[in-house]
Amino acid sequence: MTDAALSITQSAVEQFTEQYLTEVGCTVQKDGGRWTVIAPEGAETEVLNGEISLLCGEPSSDLGENERELHPESTFFQELIAEASERSPTGRIILTSEGTQIEMPPWIQQSDVEVATATFTPYYDRTAVVFLYRIGIETVSEYQTELLRAIAVDTRSTDPLPKLEDTFLQSVSSPAPIEASPVDFERSEARNLIEQTREVVVDRVQPKIDEIHQEASRAADAEIEEYRQLQQQRIQELQEKTTQLSSRIDDLSESIQQSNTQSERMQALEKRKEIKAEYEDAKAELEKLRHRRDQGFPEKQQEIRERHALEVVVTPLTVTQVEYERGELELELEKQGVAQSLTIGYGNGVGVTDEMRCDSCNQLLTEDNPVQEIGAGIRCSQC
Amino acid sequence: MADYDLVETEVNHGSADELLDTIGEQSPSGDHLQTVQAVRLQAGQPDSELRSLKQLDEDAVKLLEHQVDAAYRALFEMDGKALLADEVGLGKTIEVGMILKEMHFRETDDSVLILTPAQLAKQWQGELLEKFGLEYVCNYDEEFAGFDQHDHIIASIDTAKSDRHRATVLNRDWDVLVLDEAHYAKNEETDRYDLIDNLSYQYAFFLTATPIQNELTDLYNVVSLLRPGLFGTRDVFHHYFVNSNQETLVNREELQDRLHKVMIRNRRADTDIDFTERTIDTRTFDPSPKERELYQAVSDYVRGAYSENQGQKLVLMLLQKEVVSSPAALKGTIEKRLDDQSELSHTEELESIRDLIDSIEMVTKQEKLLSIVEEARDHVEMGRVIVFTQFRATQREILNRLAEEGYTVHSFHGGHSSQEKEQIVENFEESGGVLVSTDSMSEGRNLQFCNIMVNYDLPWNPMRVEQRIGRIHRIGQKRDVFIFNMALKDTVEEYVLERLYHKIDLFQQTVGELSSILTRLEESGTTFEDEIFERLVNADSEVDLENDFDAMAVDLQEQRDLAEKLEEFNSGVFEGFDLGASDD
Repeated sequence: MTDAALSITQSAVEQFTEQYLTEVGCTVQKDGGRWTVIAPEGAETEVLNGEISLLCGEPSSDLGENERELHPESTFFQELIAEASERSPTGRIILTSEGTQIEMPPWIQQSDVEVATATFTPYYDRTAVVFLYRIGIETVSEYQTELLRAIAVDTRSTDPLPKLEDTFLQSVSSPAPIEASPVDFERSEARNLIEQTREVVVDRVQPKIDEIHQEASRAADAEIEEYRQLQQQRIQELQEKTTQLSSRIDDLSESIQQSNTQSERMQALEKRKEIKAEYEDAKAELEKLRHRRDQGFPEKQQEIRERHALEVVVTPLTVTQVEYERGELELELEKQGVAQSLTIGYGNGVGVTDEMRCDSCNQLLTEDNPVQEIGAGIRCSQC
Repeated sequence: MADYDLVETEVNHGSADELLDTIGEQSPSGDHLQTVQAVRLQAGQPDSELRSLKQLDEDAVKLLEHQVDAAYRALFEMDGKALLADEVGLGKTIEVGMILKEMHFRETDDSVLILTPAQLAKQWQGELLEKFGLEYVCNYDEEFAGFDQHDHIIASIDTAKSDRHRATVLNRDWDVLVLDEAHYAKNEETDRYDLIDNLSYQYAFFLTATPIQNELTDLYNVVSLLRPGLFGTRDVFHHYFVNSNQETLVNREELQDRLHKVMIRNRRADTDIDFTERTIDTRTFDPSPKERELYQAVSDYVRGAYSENQGQKLVLMLLQKEVVSSPAALKGTIEKRLDDQSELSHTEELESIRDLIDSIEMVTKQEKLLSIVEEARDHVEMGRVIVFTQFRATQREILNRLAEEGYTVHSFHGGHSSQEKEQIVENFEESGGVLVSTDSMSEGRNLQFCNIMVNYDLPWNPMRVEQRIGRIHRIGQKRDVFIFNMALKDTVEEYVLERLYHKIDLFQQTVGELSSILTRLEESGTTFEDEIFERLVNADSEVDLENDFDAMAVDLQEQRDLAEKLEEFNSGVFEGFDLGASDD
């Protein structure tokens, strides 16, 4: 699964804006960093009306009535991509062998073996889908993390096609992107595919989720500890307070005993009553706190844990149906004057579809275990 | 620690209906791929760059790669909460200056509080203004009207935590908090820690070259102020990262991973800072008998007057400084005191001092200065020399004398407008000769085209001396630098120079080392100038005085050794830590 997010550079902003505005029917006239954009009646956009000037690059403090800034953080650009991102989230493209370069398997790329010729013969058409998923991970102690991931699967076998994810993203970004048309599968089929792929998406971003989960756990733990300490401090304060109040009550009792006049006694009695009430309150609070402490402050713990809990939301944003060709790739390999031919399953944009094993030890050939010898069959680097 | 599992994770699948509803809709070709691209751009990080850099005056500040990198990471990779822990002398203040400039540019700095040790507050203010064009009010400024009355404040941390201001400081939501020498807030039981812990802010930048002062808990405390919870609880931190003898770290890789989220530490060895040689030539001269007599008379007067009334300390200190600068500098203050009605009891003494001043025809330092500038004229390109003095009257005298001798002279003092100042520096660069300046020459001035400096008199505040040297001996100076110190024998100046400044190697300190020594000194509650003055007026005899100054030198040396040890200790602890730019 491939990270699909793009870095929003000024040039990316300008390139996208120009393409999009032209696509929706506007005209763009560029004069250095100042673009004049005219939206004729019927232009399919709501981000502008009539004529405006776009000022590329640096934010300006002094904008005229029909002037807008165009840079990665400008309001105009934000509105524009918001509109564009909802315009046509489903579509279909066709990858033909003419338009795509033959992709060698990693176990050849990483080896000393040379490829003299490579010929792809397509036998049949296949269909894949590429989804872009947004994964939002939210917790109070960390900034919200948003990831965008591409995932590609073959519609019939539902096998993942990781190479296609790259091919797709590259072709979307290329200066001359391929034409898209409406999808020709049913809603129910798309729903099934979403159900099958979204769990895979979660699995693949699990390390990131784990990392944030750890951080949130630590933050929650620190907060619980801080709360505990605060309560412990409060308990000490209350202990001191009750001791003080209790000794004041004793003092007052004594002065009641020793008072000479009734009014003095009444005053002392009233005071003692007041202080006793205060004492009872403090004592009750102290007992309650001690009890909660002995229990480990379960409600507070629960509240803190809930507040720090992670919410992961996985949302499919776009789906692209990709028609590609499958067939066979014939390779002529050479090493130190020795030649060997090889035929393996291949799909354009998808890469090699067959696993290849060492003729000698039957180990799987991989990027880390590339082909080493071709004289007597294909032999891996471990042989 | 790996199975720290206190909170739940809930995975929800957002609705796909909106997406599915678009299946079957007819939309023009090409649109879909644009939508894909728009979604990708929406998910991407804005092209974060320091956009304010272009606005900086290159003459005022020369930025180094590690500084730009640190500012960038602090802002964009650490979400605006960072511990800047470069080794001493790598320009942490510059890094914060860039950060604040960028925030100003992006209008995210509505309220900023910079807390520093008292002695460094004014220096911060000067640097931010001169180098970054950022105007801050300092709590020592007359116009300072309280922490709720200004939006950009530099204050001593102790002022901020004082009973008078604490509530106002805490009552405000600050956009940005900057804490210089952050290790002074590492102890969780102090008022300083408490203040920072209770402050409300959105972004924070803490600076220290030595995050660890005594024990590794210091690191925990400082980092937890910035990013509560990053290390979990204190106990967990201890069990997991600290060896029980407190001196070494364990599980270093994980600690590094965590620290990497919040701390930036550049090391001198990894940067390309290369200072040229600095040669110090201290010249002491015998004063003429008249000058000696004047010095004695003033010192006696100061001592007597101070023993009667300690409230006039500042003016007496001034006299003691002026007498070694020039008779002209002294004269103004003496006359003012004579006019002062409260000084009736000392009238005779003051009058005799004035007479002594008038009787001096030849000023020894002036004559000796001529030979230094003469040497320079013969050996240095365009004979460029900067002469620093603390006093305007001395400055005037020097200028007149040099002009009489046929030197091209330039005068620089605080009374010029900033435009005039620019012009003066430009003239000095173009026509050469001697620039005579007061200490109002600010940090931002770029004088690297000159490599000879004369301290005609010496400030009693070592920071001032360092600032003077910093005008010419800075990044970008390509030639070796020569510093001449002038002092009259058997005067306070000689004591300060020989017994204090040379003892602590003031003139050879790398930039920034001094501030850590002084800040340590400040912890003891006195200023350097006060110490000098008290020793001077309280000594009973010459021998006493010498012993006193030696004792102060020992203190200073201790502070210096301590500062050095700490720096070494921190280097040791962080050795093998790669806290540089992440490559992921």
